[in-house]
Amino acid sequence: MSRSVWKGPFVDAYVLKKAEAARESGRNEVIKIWSRRSTILPQFVGLTFGVYNGQKHVPVNVSEDMIGQKFGEYSPTRTYYGHAADKKAKRK
Amino acid sequence: MTDHVCVAAIAGAFGVRGEVRLKSFTAVPEDVASYGPLHTEDGSRTFTVTLDRPIKGGFAVRLNTIATKEEADALKGVRLYAPRSALPSLPDDEFYHADLIGLNVYDTGGVRLGRVKSVQNNGADDLLEIHGPGLKATVLLPFTRAAVPTVDLTAGRIVADPPLGIFPDDG
Repeated sequence: MSRSVWKGPFVDAYVLKKAEAARESGRNEVIKIWSRRSTILPQFVGLTFGVYNGQKHVPVNVSEDMIGQKFGEYSPTRTYYGHAADKKAKRK
Repeated sequence: MTDHVCVAAIAGAFGVRGEVRLKSFTAVPEDVASYGPLHTEDGSRTFTVTLDRPIKGGFAVRLNTIATKEEADALKGVRLYAPRSALPSLPDDEFYHADLIGLNVYDTGGVRLGRVKSVQNNGADDLLEIHGPGLKATVLLPFTRAAVPTVDLTAGRIVADPPLGIFPDDG
């Protein structure tokens, strides 16, 4: 068994607590977190986190295919304003 | 909704035979030539674009009315626009950024929250960046059916039902 598998995924404890509290409350709210290093776990699917990027909390709707990645991957720290041109946005 | 969208800019002459270096802003860079004749911002000049080959930083392009390097040099910095009607229509729940930017955002109670400044992507979802009165910084709103139930392009308005905590004053 490799060391990383043996140790398991890392998640800051307060993220787990906040996620659990949000799930119990059942309210549609953004869970503000600062922990970009935490791994996205299966129990986070369906919740919306506000992941801090150094300036603001970027809303991240967790879906199944994000499991195993870090929150920071979905909260870019730089903003690029290009030309809109023919770029499209899809409402999910 | 804008009538024209900026799809490219001329970066200067390329070579000595009247070709220009074109920077494409479209999602697929080659599509810049597929939107018919492009015109300048004031509409005074219209060009038919023929892509020659990709080069560093854009495309080597031949414009129908440009034959010499001097004419090509004179166009440096000119932005090219396509009519909005030249863009293909999209399926439901898909929108052009150009259509969304500038729309007014209201909450479900009819209170104005602000205006769409840009459309961003966080790697998973599209986000509307909203700038509004009373906001110190812009706010990012997930572009989902739950958070944005109504997009009315003809009325120029979006109805949003933001989750708690998105806007600073709702905790």
